Amino acid sequence: MDDSRPIFIQIAEQLENDIIDGTLPEGSQIPSINEFAAFLRVNPATALKGVGRLVDDGFVEKRRGIGMFVTVGARDRLIQRRRAEFSAQYLRPLLVEADKLGIDVDDLAGMLAALRSERTAS
Amino acid sequence: MTTTVARVSGLTKRYGDFTAVDGVDFTLEENRIYGLLGRNGAGKTTIMQLLTGQLFPNGGEIEVFGRTPAEHADVLRRLCFIAESQRYPEDFAPRHVFTAAPWFFENWDQEFADRLIADFRLPLKRPIKKLSRGQLSAVGVIVGLASRAPLTFFDEPYLGLDAVARHIFYDRLLEDFAAHPRTIVLSTHLIDEVANLLEHIILIDQGRILLDRDAEEVRGSATTIAGARAAVEQFVADRPVIGREGLGGLASVTIDGRLDHAERVRAAELGLELAPVSLQQLIVHLTGADLAASIEQEAAA
Amino acid sequence: MTAVTTTAATAEREASMSSRVRPGEIWRIVRLLAVNPTIFFGVPWLILGGAWAVTMIVALIIQGAGGAAVDASDIQEGFRYSWAVLSPQWYLVAVGVQAVAFTFSFALGFGSTRRDYWLGLSAMFVFVAAEMAVAIATLVQIEKATGGWWIGAGMFDTLWYGQSGWTFDFFTTFSLQLFVLFVGAGVTTVYMRWRVRGMMTLFFSFVALVLALIAGFTFTNTWPAVLSWFASIGLLGVFTLTLVAAVVAAVAGFLVIRKATPR
Repeated sequence: MDDSRPIFIQIAEQLENDIIDGTLPEGSQIPSINEFAAFLRVNPATALKGVGRLVDDGFVEKRRGIGMFVTVGARDRLIQRRRAEFSAQYLRPLLVEADKLGIDVDDLAGMLAALRSERTAS
Repeated sequence: MTTTVARVSGLTKRYGDFTAVDGVDFTLEENRIYGLLGRNGAGKTTIMQLLTGQLFPNGGEIEVFGRTPAEHADVLRRLCFIAESQRYPEDFAPRHVFTAAPWFFENWDQEFADRLIADFRLPLKRPIKKLSRGQLSAVGVIVGLASRAPLTFFDEPYLGLDAVARHIFYDRLLEDFAAHPRTIVLSTHLIDEVANLLEHIILIDQGRILLDRDAEEVRGSATTIAGARAAVEQFVADRPVIGREGLGGLASVTIDGRLDHAERVRAAELGLELAPVSLQQLIVHLTGADLAASIEQEAAA
Repeated sequence: MTAVTTTAATAEREASMSSRVRPGEIWRIVRLLAVNPTIFFGVPWLILGGAWAVTMIVALIIQGAGGAAVDASDIQEGFRYSWAVLSPQWYLVAVGVQAVAFTFSFALGFGSTRRDYWLGLSAMFVFVAAEMAVAIATLVQIEKATGGWWIGAGMFDTLWYGQSGWTFDFFTTFSLQLFVLFVGAGVTTVYMRWRVRGMMTLFFSFVALVLALIAGFTFTNTWPAVLSWFASIGLLGVFTLTLVAAVVAAVAGFLVIRKATPR
């Protein structure tokens, strides 16, 4: 947990990441609010608010008396949403810094390609 | 819909010339964990003593479970408050406290108390006068948790408790709160450790309320901007500044308010560093003398 | 309009509240005071037992020194002015003080009202006084029956005790005991409510009252009348006054503690 952003948003993001990377597959049950609160040492109301965001967005559904489950199609929709945010969240700051250092877009593309092949090699 | 368990308005308590609580208004809602925060001597304990009918106010109104708490048995039996400086009967040992507790708290859970006694490794037969500060705090924590009173006050609950014992307290508090929701008021001047447990924050300074907001609203509500003095000053020009530090041509200014995405980008473009402000840092800024002091320093420089 | 109805409802509840008797909430204070029985029962008996042991040893020494020439009843007469039987009284003043200084703030923390605390404390005091009075009056009779524990020791059959029967001894001990407990507790309620300033006011008022009485009797030359009045009411009268003083201290303590605040 970092201090700069509300905890419930961080909880929601963590859950989203778990759904995207398959830790929580579609149709699987997620921990209860009280389990979240105890595990993360946060107020249950905060945990509820975090999980509530995924419920509101339809990534998680409540089944009365049983628990909460990842909905079918949640992963694809999450990936789509993350892609839409990618430019603003990562590329814009990258460009700001690149401009400061005089790196043009072609150089940037070359650097990214080199980094990608390095990563796949290792 | 939430139910209000306590409401105070214009609450004032004076000791001679000293005003310990100065016209305070707030409400406590059912089944929430509150943080009553502030520096030592801010008036936290006095407010809790007023809410539990231990002290009588000089002005204002207090309503707990619908009526004045002092001398009303049907209000008082729903409260639990073991003060940080609680006095115990002469020659009492912890076992005497836990023997008497079920007579006073109708929701007392003996099994839970026994578990907590084991968790905190509390010596039951050692006289209270000979307990360490941490063991004394453990007595209060155990009573506060196992009493399951609908309105429970923890006054500086972990003075002298080591890191392990403090985490036992946090874990047991959250577990038991989840199973038996109730209203809990946690007063402390050590904020970072408990910040995530709190749902709502009431910040007191010199007997007045500085902040009365949901914890999630407070978190990230302040930002520190650091960089070249001119750029920083330009960026914060019409924002509410709550803290200011400087070193040569560099400045670090804390503002009250969240930055949106565009502002973050603009800050990056100006070459400024943005740092989050923890609840503890925010409170230091709000209650500390550092603002006034740093302005004077600047004027002198 | 909500305000009006609330006030009316509150007043109504107030009326029903004050008339409601809550024996359970008073009884739990008695239990709280007795949860560590050494305070009210253990230590007073330890003191009394210690004084008895010392008295026995002294009697044995006198007997040993005087040899067969000394008659047991003569030794017992020598103990007439021993104050050993009153030795627990001083400790019980401290018990009265501590019951208000420490246990009161603890009981408030546990959600008791000041009213219930004082009623519970008073019940405990009456019980302790009665228990001590029964025991001492009975021990006086045993001491007399055994001729001073067979060696002429005089621990209980001393001072005014053993002169006018069991009931008289019971009544005098009960009055004295209750007086000692309630004065200790009552004076401490003044401290709990007004702190040092209250204690100073109380102390100087008491001194002023005593001086005024002395001056009054001296200047009006009424000392003989006062002394003869005391003589006329007798020991029974004096201990009845003590009991009245105990009741006054109890009622005053109740009024003062209703607004007292824990330290």
